[in-house]
Amino acid sequence: MALIWEALGEAWRLLSTGEGDIYAIALRTAVITGCSTLVAALVGLPLGLAVALGRFPGQRAFVSLANAGTGMPPVVAGLLVSITLWRSGPLGALGLIYTPGAIVVAQALIATPIVVAVTAAAVMALPPALHYQIRAMGAGTPRYLWLVAREARVPILVAIMAGFGSVVSEVGASMMVGGNLAGETRVLTTAAVLEVSRGNFGTALALGFILLAMIGAVAVVLTTVQQRARRA
Amino acid sequence: MTSPVSSSVPALSLRGLSVTRGRRQVLAVEALDVLAGETVAVLGPNGAGKSTLLLAAALLLPARGEVRVFGEAASRTNRVRLRRLTSTVFQDSALLDMAADRNVEQALAIHAVPRSRRRERARHWLDRLGVRARAEARPHQLSGGEAQRVSLARALAVEPRLLFLDEPFSGLDYTTRARLVGEMRALIQETGVTALLTTHDHAEAAVLADRVVVLIDGRVAQVGPTHEVLRAPATEDVARFLGYAVVTAAALGLPGEGRLAVPSDAVRLVAAGTAGAREARVLAVEGAAGGARLALEAGGAEFAADVTLEALTSQRWATGDVAHVCIDGARTARL
Repeated sequence: MALIWEALGEAWRLLSTGEGDIYAIALRTAVITGCSTLVAALVGLPLGLAVALGRFPGQRAFVSLANAGTGMPPVVAGLLVSITLWRSGPLGALGLIYTPGAIVVAQALIATPIVVAVTAAAVMALPPALHYQIRAMGAGTPRYLWLVAREARVPILVAIMAGFGSVVSEVGASMMVGGNLAGETRVLTTAAVLEVSRGNFGTALALGFILLAMIGAVAVVLTTVQQRARRA
Repeated sequence: MTSPVSSSVPALSLRGLSVTRGRRQVLAVEALDVLAGETVAVLGPNGAGKSTLLLAAALLLPARGEVRVFGEAASRTNRVRLRRLTSTVFQDSALLDMAADRNVEQALAIHAVPRSRRRERARHWLDRLGVRARAEARPHQLSGGEAQRVSLARALAVEPRLLFLDEPFSGLDYTTRARLVGEMRALIQETGVTALLTTHDHAEAAVLADRVVVLIDGRVAQVGPTHEVLRAPATEDVARFLGYAVVTAAALGLPGEGRLAVPSDAVRLVAAGTAGAREARVLAVEGAAGGARLALEAGGAEFAADVTLEALTSQRWATGDVAHVCIDGARTARL
């Protein structure tokens, strides 16, 4: 029990003094995770709309793939990206392995299927008459897509936030492709793993609290958006 | 509101229009024209293909055949431009998740109306449809009638030359519906817009349409001026859909041979002993919006008679009772 109290005290000291590089790690985590979520949104939104609204061969298989991808184990994503970005791998020449860019790619691979699947489901759940109505109003394709996405904006935002939540808390992919390099690719989760292995529970707890705070902030935003949508 | 169009060019022209779902052909219309300035109602039972016809005509559903809008054949390249000559109102008001006035403004934006004029025009049409006070309400804050009024305002604000109405009143209660149908008639007359309406309600067609197309199983079963079609169905299917009883003349003791279409308002309940009256057995008491009728049987023929609600309550008609009826032969139609 003394160990826990001691660790909590140390965590509090670190959080209140900002000693060490825990806030630098937190900031790096926010930037990397924000970038990977942005990439997932930029790739996932159009794909989700295409899956929901388009007609193309293999569409059903693609939907199944996206649905299956929502459960993509971070370690598998990390493995795929590692093999691809490894120096002797197909994209090794880019020199991305063990860089924040590699973590962004791996995390985007984890978050994109979530954005695709939820966007597609949200758009497919819109009333058919709404699709007809928007086109009947004379909307061209860009405005049609914009209005459809706007109608499904709440679930789409939920998908993006869920994508953020899943990548901010993953450790396997970041460790594999980032290498947990101090000052470069060390993020909250990989740092926490390292500190626990060193027996620095106070530091690990401080990192854990920051991670929880970030996830909590996402939850607060999500809840606020959903409640506003319900009230509006 | 509408720009003048040459009367020789139909506002809408359909040729060889067909829609297939799976292996089933759900629509096959050889030829149908809607002339500029007229209102045509497509009548038919549920599943007859009315909405499919309207969606195909509004260029919203892929179909085989030719659709011409004001003489211009629709193709992949001009479809969006042609749609902007039209407006469509659906049974589900299909309002976007934004305030009522912004719904109208959105339609005006698509039609490239300058931003400075959108609000004023949106408010004008919301006012015209009697929902100006609800301009800032979101769709879920509107009643069914209000939502449909906003939907109509949105459709008319863009000053369409051709208006498609897909059972726009069928989700509304009887009173709201009756009022809105009347207002729609006034709006169509005032704006001079050409309209194609689908409905399964004969009264709605009678109030709104110049001509009626009866669609049965995806095919045009009869087309003609509204009063003609409603008073003289051409086939047994059309007659049955329009609520006529199809009987032989002999079964009811009427002169002539062959089959007759007998509307319920041609059958009058009379007192026993009235000259020309005959006995009929009550099969059922049926209710409908605003009235009631008796399902009757006489001489092996089944038919119906309108009955006022007062008569229904005073007489307490029940299955198996004997009624006395006179049939107005002039009101029946020979098939």
